[in-house]
Amino acid sequence: MKMRRVSAQKIAPYFFVAPFLISFCVFYLFPALMTVIMSFQELLPGQVKFVGLRNYELLMNPHFRNAIIVSSIYTVVTIAILVSVPIVLAVLVNSKITPARNFFRAGFFVPSLVSVIVAGVIFRLMFGTMETAFINAVLGSLGLEPQRWTTGGFVHAQVIMVSVAVWRWMGINMLYFLSGLQTIPSELYESAEMDGANAITRFFRITLPLLKPIIIFVITISVYGGYAMFAESYIYWSNLQPPNDIGLTILRYIYYTAFSVNEMGHASAAGLVLLLIVLTINILQLNIFGVFRKEA
Amino acid sequence: MKIGTGKKVMLGITVLMLVGFFAWSGGQSGGAAKGEYTFSFWTFQQFHIALLEDAADRWNKEYPDRRVTVESSSLPYADLHSKLLVALQSGVGAPDLVDIEISQFANFLKGTVQLADYSKYVDPVRDKFITARFDIYSKGGNVYGLPYHVGATVVYYNMNHLNAAGVRPQDIGYWTSDYVEAARKVKSATGKFMTTFESNDQWSFWPMISQQKSDYFNAAGDVILDNDINVKTLQFQYDMIYKDKLATLPPGGYHHTEEFYGFLNAGEIASLLMPMWYMGRFVDYCPDLSGKILVHPMPRWEPNGFRSAGMGGTGTAVTNQCDDLDVATEFVAYAKLSKEANIKIWEILGFDPPRWDVWDSPELKAENKYTNYFKNGTALFETLLEVKEEIMPVNVTELMPRASDLVKSMVVYRVLESREQSPYEALHEAAEELRK
Amino acid sequence: MLTVRTKNAMLRSITVVVLLLLVVLVLFPLYSLIVASFRSGRELMRLGLTPSFLIPETLMLDFYKALFTERNGIYLHWFKNSFAISALQTIITIFFASLVGYGLGVYRFKGRNLVFSLVLFVLMIPIQILVLPLFRIIISFRIIDTYWGVIAPFITSPFVVFFFRQYTLGIPGDYLDAARVDGVSEFGIYLRIMSPLMAPAYAAMAILQARQTWNDFFWPLIVLRSDKKLTLQIGLASLLTPYGSNYDLLLTGAVLATIPIIILFIAFQRYFVSGILAGGLKG
Repeated sequence: MKMRRVSAQKIAPYFFVAPFLISFCVFYLFPALMTVIMSFQELLPGQVKFVGLRNYELLMNPHFRNAIIVSSIYTVVTIAILVSVPIVLAVLVNSKITPARNFFRAGFFVPSLVSVIVAGVIFRLMFGTMETAFINAVLGSLGLEPQRWTTGGFVHAQVIMVSVAVWRWMGINMLYFLSGLQTIPSELYESAEMDGANAITRFFRITLPLLKPIIIFVITISVYGGYAMFAESYIYWSNLQPPNDIGLTILRYIYYTAFSVNEMGHASAAGLVLLLIVLTINILQLNIFGVFRKEA
Repeated sequence: MKIGTGKKVMLGITVLMLVGFFAWSGGQSGGAAKGEYTFSFWTFQQFHIALLEDAADRWNKEYPDRRVTVESSSLPYADLHSKLLVALQSGVGAPDLVDIEISQFANFLKGTVQLADYSKYVDPVRDKFITARFDIYSKGGNVYGLPYHVGATVVYYNMNHLNAAGVRPQDIGYWTSDYVEAARKVKSATGKFMTTFESNDQWSFWPMISQQKSDYFNAAGDVILDNDINVKTLQFQYDMIYKDKLATLPPGGYHHTEEFYGFLNAGEIASLLMPMWYMGRFVDYCPDLSGKILVHPMPRWEPNGFRSAGMGGTGTAVTNQCDDLDVATEFVAYAKLSKEANIKIWEILGFDPPRWDVWDSPELKAENKYTNYFKNGTALFETLLEVKEEIMPVNVTELMPRASDLVKSMVVYRVLESREQSPYEALHEAAEELRK
Repeated sequence: MLTVRTKNAMLRSITVVVLLLLVVLVLFPLYSLIVASFRSGRELMRLGLTPSFLIPETLMLDFYKALFTERNGIYLHWFKNSFAISALQTIITIFFASLVGYGLGVYRFKGRNLVFSLVLFVLMIPIQILVLPLFRIIISFRIIDTYWGVIAPFITSPFVVFFFRQYTLGIPGDYLDAARVDGVSEFGIYLRIMSPLMAPAYAAMAILQARQTWNDFFWPLIVLRSDKKLTLQIGLASLLTPYGSNYDLLLTGAVLATIPIIILFIAFQRYFVSGILAGGLKG
């Protein structure tokens, strides 16, 4: 009898994780292998042939390079803003001296409930080109020139894409950090205060280090989110290609190459490059933060 | 056994799911009875659906022994084309009938064409059509798509501004002289710009080069994007904006942005160069301009030059995954090629029908929301009749999608908006990229 | 010399002002959307997002009414589809992912780290790059243009798995042993003993998953094709074409598309937050 129970306990976990493994093989591993194979082929209706490294050579063009630059800058900027600001907000909202905390918490979170298409209509109008468009009107009242947001150039494009992203994700990140803050025992703060540490010191010496796991988590998903960005660009340039590639992200490049000019092999190669970039950055990032050191 | 229950439950769930997969995905309803045909139709412009449905009604009255039902779906533009591509590529999942936009059409003419040929319906009536509109959907002599309209490009003049400046459209014969002169007068009388040139789309550049018998490609399929005519034309646009300061860029960069409609409606420009299908935008989004806009042929570039160009367009095709190719092609031909059909194109869609022998029929002179809006009133099509011989076909090759995108996002942008390249530099760079 | 109380009061005021400003800024786009849904698309084009548009004199309900009749009530189909897919996906995903996460968090078994690394791997790598082959697989399973086609690849969401793993990591083994002594099967332990304990986690993940599925755009865009099968997001997107857009339906449709999820959130905010907090993304 005991033998049976032990083996049940030993086998059970495999059943529990089976759904993931099945799903992984069918919907992840297999397609990944197919992508690798397609990246060495040229695919047209009725004709599929191997072309060696040609698709990778095709990738060495200024558009793909632009896509990498746009995606990378976007990722860096969004991570910078979407880690620092939500932490501060979380601290403020968490603080005992702040009234109506539930209201603020909900208020910041609501934008993340709105879909990107919906947000798009409004943001497109807000960032209109005319002087009367909302953002330009605000600039005007500050004595600044109105800007041609969707066509103005690289910096403009980053500003408008990052704005939508920040608007949408700020609340969620804030919530993650809030959850992290709850795990910090208040005695730590109290004893620090008694030792004469002021708010700023407490923040940098206690809060930040203890939030490290969450920060790592947020950065990891933001690297993914940043490089896989499609929607925030699609909002502004949906039926057209962005002028001068200012809004061309890697995923847009893949989608365009696959479906608008019908070069699936080429697109698969781009997809693999994207995978390698994200993988590399995440591994680097995790190493820097020391996550791979043996857990106790 | 202790793991018994757990295992059973999981197994049960998995089985249920698999059953669910196959049950829910359900098939199409089984084969139709003889004489009943159901065709699936994809479009990205929901208004097109009305035309086919009307055609189905008329067809069913005329051929009650071969009833047709059209099941339409309106999908997002880019999405429709990408799905269609993948479906035709993989041999499964394509609709029976589909609208394909002209700048995407070339993608479907690559390799072995998976669309049905309409030649036997087109040939008998070809001479009654603006043939350019068939050529763009053809390959190797076969016609794979039937057009919705001519897309004749015209100039929409805001008569309030022109009258204030003492200018008459009929006196604007040439771009480089009369039009610029008129622009000066308008500017000094009203302070308004004469027009806008798109910096992120091709509807200002392309019609202008097309009327000069130029294009992105020549008839043999070579890239001619950087030829002299194109360079000169782009330079003309640049000069009007920056040298003469008589034209400007549209807000948002092209003529379909939400804010451009507001700009247009407020009367910020005295004229606009766009195809006939842009009429609907005026009617829908520029209520304040009702009764003020006159539709007129384009000015020429040289004596006896063309005064129009056929721009834009969507071809309705039948895919080879349709079970009843013959009936389907006959049906679409019925919906697009007859006189009746073309009258419907005007009545239902407000497009300039590609069959010119209906242009002087009484239905096209009847009152509707377009004739009520534009100053031409019921004489709207007389304007078109004037220029019917002056429309060049556009040369479509496999590189067309890339070419249009390059023009839209690189060429006109770099010359007219960011001003980082000269017309020749921009056109040449794009041409070289295409030639690779 | 400021007393601690005055200092606190000052800090409080500054904090409130800053937060209030930010919240107003953040909610402004939503306000614009709501106002816009009561006005015609034509007005929006004409006026842009200017004060004259945003502070309306009249509000019209016509567009809301039109929503249900336009194009034979296609909007209702979209709504139904979004609802059904979100509900199905949430329930199925939470069920399977919690199973996996539980398995990883509670048991020590060979291959445990490997599986977890795979989960992390999937979490880190955008699945969008696999869209082409995924599409072909869905076609060959014949679930294209169906709810299942939309749901299938994401049944074991790595994020949810990760969360449940973290959540169950801290559970002491004796607790489980006691149940085993009582003759409960492994799956029974999961079902009858642990699940109630994991209630906050279920709630939190359910809301997050529902939100994500409701707003999902890219993958449903690939899988769904018939008019009547589209979800709200795609249906609304189809209203924007290069040759003219249906703004009235779009704006009103967009507002109504957002309401359910906002209601869901506000109603369950408490559970949601406590779930996230309790789960604590430790390490």
